[in-house]
Amino acid sequence: MSRRPDDSQLDRELRFHIQRLVDEKIAAGIAPEEARRQALLEFGGQQQIKEELRDVYRLRFVESSMRNLRSACRFMRAAPSFSITVMLTLALGIGANSAVFSAIHAILLRPLPFPNADQLVVLAQYNPKGRNPMTPVAPVRVEDWNRMNSTFQAITGYYTEDVSETSGQLPEKITRAWVSPRFFQVWGVAPAIGRTFAPNEERFHGTNAVVISDRFWRRRFGGTLEAIGRRLRLDGYPYTIIGIMPPSFLFPERDVDLFIPSPVDFPLSQTNRELTWYTCVGRMRPGVGIAQARADLATVQGQLGQEFPKTDKDLAIRIAPQKEIQIGGIRRSLWILFGSVSLLLVLACCNIASLLLARTAQRAHEIAIRFSLGASRGSVILQLLTETFVLALGGSVLGVLVAAGAANAFHALAKNLPRGDEVRLDWTIVVYTLGCSVIATLLCGLLPAFRATRRSLSGAMSQSSRRQVSARSPLQWALVSLQVALAVTLLAGAGLLLRTFQALGRISPGFDPSHVLTLRISGNYGETSDMKTLTARINRTLEELRGVPGVETAATSLGVPGAPSQFQAELKISGEPAESERKLPVIPRYVSDGYFAALRIPVLAGEACRDNTLSAQTAVVNQSFVNTYLAGGPVIGRRIEPVRPGLYAAPPAEIRGIVGDAREQGLDREPAPTVYRCFGAGNPTPVFLIRTYGEPMTMAESLRRKIHEIEPGRSVFEVMPLADHLSENFAENRMRAVLLTFFALSAVSLACMGLYGTLSYLAGLRRREIGLRLAIGALRGQIASQFLLEGLRASVLGCGAGLILAGFSTRLLAGMLYGVNALDTATFAGVAALILLTGTLSALLPAARAARVDPMQALREE
Amino acid sequence: MPPEKSDLLQGTLDMLILKIVALGPVHGYGIALRIRQISKEVLQVQQGSLYPALHRLEKRGWLKAEWGESENGREAKFYSLSPKGRKQLAEEESNWERLAGAVGEILRATEAES
Repeated sequence: MSRRPDDSQLDRELRFHIQRLVDEKIAAGIAPEEARRQALLEFGGQQQIKEELRDVYRLRFVESSMRNLRSACRFMRAAPSFSITVMLTLALGIGANSAVFSAIHAILLRPLPFPNADQLVVLAQYNPKGRNPMTPVAPVRVEDWNRMNSTFQAITGYYTEDVSETSGQLPEKITRAWVSPRFFQVWGVAPAIGRTFAPNEERFHGTNAVVISDRFWRRRFGGTLEAIGRRLRLDGYPYTIIGIMPPSFLFPERDVDLFIPSPVDFPLSQTNRELTWYTCVGRMRPGVGIAQARADLATVQGQLGQEFPKTDKDLAIRIAPQKEIQIGGIRRSLWILFGSVSLLLVLACCNIASLLLARTAQRAHEIAIRFSLGASRGSVILQLLTETFVLALGGSVLGVLVAAGAANAFHALAKNLPRGDEVRLDWTIVVYTLGCSVIATLLCGLLPAFRATRRSLSGAMSQSSRRQVSARSPLQWALVSLQVALAVTLLAGAGLLLRTFQALGRISPGFDPSHVLTLRISGNYGETSDMKTLTARINRTLEELRGVPGVETAATSLGVPGAPSQFQAELKISGEPAESERKLPVIPRYVSDGYFAALRIPVLAGEACRDNTLSAQTAVVNQSFVNTYLAGGPVIGRRIEPVRPGLYAAPPAEIRGIVGDAREQGLDREPAPTVYRCFGAGNPTPVFLIRTYGEPMTMAESLRRKIHEIEPGRSVFEVMPLADHLSENFAENRMRAVLLTFFALSAVSLACMGLYGTLSYLAGLRRREIGLRLAIGALRGQIASQFLLEGLRASVLGCGAGLILAGFSTRLLAGMLYGVNALDTATFAGVAALILLTGTLSALLPAARAARVDPMQALREE
Repeated sequence: MPPEKSDLLQGTLDMLILKIVALGPVHGYGIALRIRQISKEVLQVQQGSLYPALHRLEKRGWLKAEWGESENGREAKFYSLSPKGRKQLAEEESNWERLAGAVGEILRATEAES
């Protein structure tokens, strides 16, 4: 390409021309002075020509873009309703896409909010031969792992519990994390104010010190610096605040208010290798891969197995990236949502493409003129694309607003999902949205632009009348069918998720969660050293609660019914001959007396738990247990005992009763063989289940007051109806179903609009033909049904294609469905019926309008 | 010549320039002169249209330009046709002939009918 010549070159070129004109005139006999004057006059404005020459060389892209932008704005002004339709459609498509992307970005793509977060892994011990997936780790083993490995910078552990802080007027429930040494080093975050623990603060009987979270600091001390050095009272001891963590320290367990050293030299934890206390986190050395770390720790655990065969021989270490542990199963849900919302965007683009096809066909004349003025095909395409881009840009600006709104909706809809609070609108999302508008421009605009400029010069001239635009338009019908197909796919997915949700709602859980209030009362693990006192305290509280007017009964349980417990136990039936001894995997649940009455679980035989003490050693089994393990034989009075006795295995017990099956492992899971141990006080903060006569939440205040009366030093927390716990378990389920339904309904409305718009446009093109046919005797009904059939054909084709597409894509939902098959006939039939119905409705109006053409007027117009 | 008309003729002007330049290297004045002469004074090219067109064609790579000495010894910018330009010219010529032929046919047909 030639570079732009400088001004002097332009001058020289023009001067030469003028000189020749002067020569010409002198040769014709004009006096030199006069010749020069005439030549200059004839030549015209030199400056203007030079300016035009410079224009030729100006950055063509910028210049022509500006020109195109200007013409695009003119175009928008000329067709405001068209422009607004396109922008709103894109705002929906792009906005929804950006909103889901913002969740994917925050949850899946962005590293965890810690320095070099990819070095962080979660370690757990497990028995490869056993059934429990993972268990927390003994403190002493954490120290062993930390000392003996060669691939980690540091390994640490923590556990959390809820306690009361009693330095204020009323006890406040707080969550405390006991942390082993190296805790802050592993996370790689230092306090924003103050310091971390000194060695003398990490020792048993050392100085009591505490680091508090930013949230607690703001809540309790209003964010003032005076907090440092203040004392908190926990378990009756004063603790001095020495540090405040920064707000960016998003510890995986977000509720934690303060961090307290768990002394390494605590006598119990130093010797006992069977404690299961710690969630264990390690930071790998730079450059170490997870496989390498796994191999290294396997060696370490092998050595420990030799050293401590009794406790460590059967143990293995499981390592998973912290991020995987934290975001867990939500990955698939999010990608599925992203896939759906991308289909929606493609659909929106098809919709706009068909609008633009109609639009540019009407402008064939204008385009023909551009060609005849010497515009190249590329520049016309560029101009048409610029128009689309301006619309897409407008749409994506609106889309950003939609996404911002959606981020808020997401917080509400998914507050229990991991990292949900990290979802927000930032520059990445804005850039992504702009990227979407470019893609949308190409998707919507390329096809119409190429089609509009396809004609040759002579073709364009003869095409100047728009009566000759092809009325068959297979391309436009293909776009309509594609839209219908995409809508059907989304609708089928949404339908299946909704049916799942419906099926979950219909499940009879085997217990009655209505009218049950749950709450917990703060306590600390220190209390477990004196089980008698702990049991007495909980029994006393239960008695008092049962006496409150409006309470039918009360019970405790170590877990919330309906929430899955990770643990399984292996039992054997006492007295079975040694050679036929079976290991029976069961779900152990620990419940107090009154539990089955409170939850309305029927007692089928024998008696329900009568008391709530460790020494009672009684148990109740469910129907599944009997059917699976003791079918046909006697049940009541049989004894069960753990396969491997040990400090933390439950002691043997006698089966006193049989109860009905309840879906306590989660509503979507079949009941499993379960053993209820009649002891609901094994943990200082069991769940209190209180059956009330009226609405459970209306009792909350009087129960709280009662507890304060008898236990003034303890705080009450997690007060909520049992039904809410159950629905919380379906938060992800609900989010998926709600969002996908929203996308699907948007898709259906877009597809209907597409059908309506295309049919109206084509009917408009054929007014003359219709007029002619009416004039020579066609019936209006014939005209209407012809258009209706055309619309229906596109819907049926699209629907068929969509059902096939759905048949493939709903497989992606496997594992997310309950009570419904991925190819559920009823759902698919319903989707087809809905689509054909809405399709017919959207075709009806344009078809009827087409038939109302006044033949005389239509023919006169041309 | 009113400006709209010259605009309308822009595509045609490009073709005429290419045609003239195809006859041999020539400067802007020469092109204007030759168009006037060959068309027997029917077509007049304004300098305001000629030079931007020349530079545009040069930028597209259809024309090559070189400074050289003119027939009367002055320095002038000479334009000649590039291979790409030759192809373009052939294309435009055949397009034009088709178009002109078609228009001619129509005109003749109309005359015959009337």
